[in-house]
Amino acid sequence: MLFLSLATRNLFFTGKGGVGKTTISCAAAIHFADRGEKVLLVCTDPASNLDDVLETQVSSVPAPVPGVENLQALNIDPEEAARQYREKVIGPYRGVLPESALTSMEEQLSGACTTEIAAFDEFARLLGSKDISGQFDRIIFDTAPTGHTLRLLQLPSAWDGFIESNTSGTSCLGPLSGLDAQHQVYKNAIHFLQDGEASTLVLVCRPDEASLSEAARTSAELAELGINNQQIAINGIFYAEPGDDSTARSLSAQHKNALAACPDALRQLPRSELPLLPFAPLGIDRLRQVFAGTPAPTASAQTPAKSLALPPDFQELCKNLAAGNSGVIMTMGKGGVGKTTLATKIALYLAAEGHKVHLATTDPAAHLDFSLGEKNSRLQVSRIDPAEEVENYTAKVMQEAGSQLDDDGRRLLEEDLRSPCTEEIAVFRAFAALVDQGSKQFVVLDTAPTGHTLLLLDAAQSYHREVAKKTGQLPDSINQLLPRLRDDSFTKIIIVTLAETTPVQEALLLAGDLKRAGIKPFAWVINQSLLPLSIANPLLAGKQAQEYSQVEKILARSAPQPVFLEAWQPVARGF
Amino acid sequence: MDRLEIFEPAMCCSSGVCGTNVDQRLVQFTADLDWLKSRGVKVERYNLAQQPDKFVQSEPVKNAMALADDKCLPIILADGRIVAQNTYPDRSTLARLAGLTTE
Repeated sequence: MLFLSLATRNLFFTGKGGVGKTTISCAAAIHFADRGEKVLLVCTDPASNLDDVLETQVSSVPAPVPGVENLQALNIDPEEAARQYREKVIGPYRGVLPESALTSMEEQLSGACTTEIAAFDEFARLLGSKDISGQFDRIIFDTAPTGHTLRLLQLPSAWDGFIESNTSGTSCLGPLSGLDAQHQVYKNAIHFLQDGEASTLVLVCRPDEASLSEAARTSAELAELGINNQQIAINGIFYAEPGDDSTARSLSAQHKNALAACPDALRQLPRSELPLLPFAPLGIDRLRQVFAGTPAPTASAQTPAKSLALPPDFQELCKNLAAGNSGVIMTMGKGGVGKTTLATKIALYLAAEGHKVHLATTDPAAHLDFSLGEKNSRLQVSRIDPAEEVENYTAKVMQEAGSQLDDDGRRLLEEDLRSPCTEEIAVFRAFAALVDQGSKQFVVLDTAPTGHTLLLLDAAQSYHREVAKKTGQLPDSINQLLPRLRDDSFTKIIIVTLAETTPVQEALLLAGDLKRAGIKPFAWVINQSLLPLSIANPLLAGKQAQEYSQVEKILARSAPQPVFLEAWQPVARGF
Repeated sequence: MDRLEIFEPAMCCSSGVCGTNVDQRLVQFTADLDWLKSRGVKVERYNLAQQPDKFVQSEPVKNAMALADDKCLPIILADGRIVAQNTYPDRSTLARLAGLTTE
């Protein structure tokens, strides 16, 4: 592994959820600790499964990991960081300011931006603090999913410029102004990442085309931020043996083709390839085997008695959905579980059944086939592009609100619109407008990864409270949004997962979060399952057998909502 | 007059561009304050969600809030005295409060 031999003091693993960042960073941390180095492992994933992987409770302060000498681990939970930040701001005024004033302060500090900033604040503090980081020979970061990470990285450099150029003193920096003193700490954190002598950024991805091009995009964005010491780790490559069954051959061929079509930008990076593991990498002993090469599958990877009746086919779900005439269908789940693919399949099925359908993605990294819409007159395909939404929204505001201002006023407004909040608002409005269409026809949305999705929902909720207070005129689509998301006859939420440990855990967390927001899923789909296939290759058969316990877990926890299964297939199934 | 201080309710920010819709009143007010500044008036703006310390440190503001919670906001002080409550004055009123005349 080149990221082990060419490693700098700080190693950052980045990539979409489910690509194996946690496994690789934990295994790397153990690798260095076993060599006698003092290692700190930092996790920043809001849906962390670090506890399961390391088989110990990981908290917000560094603590030793049982079973590995020299290794300490900590987890930065963004929600908890935001809570602490709110308390830091409001706490001193309890009993000093009136209760209603405190409540309104708390509400204003509950937005998406506070969470982002508070998490980055923790991250920057850790990087900048000699007291903490100075005690270690090596620091390994298991960062949050790509989009989120990039945002965290992009924010301060954007704000760097913003703070310097904003002279009005009213700057729309939201909660950041509370952290103005931290400005230098943020700057240091960025410099720390940019310093190739000290830090390496490892892009983790799967051997498939979508994952590789996602990594290429991330690579370019990081380079733009001046982060150039990059490596790539391709995780979970499967090599078929001669005489293998057709599933094994097509999976192997698919991996081989994807690697052959690897984007040029990634070819120049030092590359590590990790084979598909025949075991679930949970626990210290298993983690120690991750870089050891694939051990031959043992006899213990036997196929259990197939007493479990498999859930009905995904097609059955499509049939159920097609019985209606309109409404919003959202596929939700962590990145990499196939939300976009399933949303596309649902939209195609509905269109084939004669329904009018609008298929749209809010995931900036999604790969929708926009040519589909041209082939079918009942199908419309679109994407919420954040950059475009911001541009449209800015233009609209400048035209409406800016027209009544003088030149200086317009310049000031334009400057305020450059704030990071504008993107949240612009995307939110586009989302609400799409949901609104569902009253007349079908709207199929593949939402962005969990964290972002929940931010949207959370934003919907707090905006909802805000709506009652504000005198400004609001589009009806926004007033209606949350009640519609909660109405299970209008919005049908499909939770998508894979029959693997981390995705299942994330799906269960997602369902829990939805429940707290008063939203009930319509159905669950286990995607890319090997279970319905007949498999002879021992490594894949072992993987297939591992799926049983995950399916059982989903069936037990999802009831009474129905569960459907979509078999793994080499190329997307058409209708 | 030396300075104008504005104590505003808890807001994500004071520019008026945050929220699901742009608050035209705040956008205008922000521009008006900028205009005052360009004419040499010292203007300070405090947001309850961001600078609660300023609210506590100002006796008149603290007293007004003790009586009417945050419903009295925004409060405008001219040289430390309350000159407006629960309203965003327009440009000509602001100019008068600051001892200027509009062109």
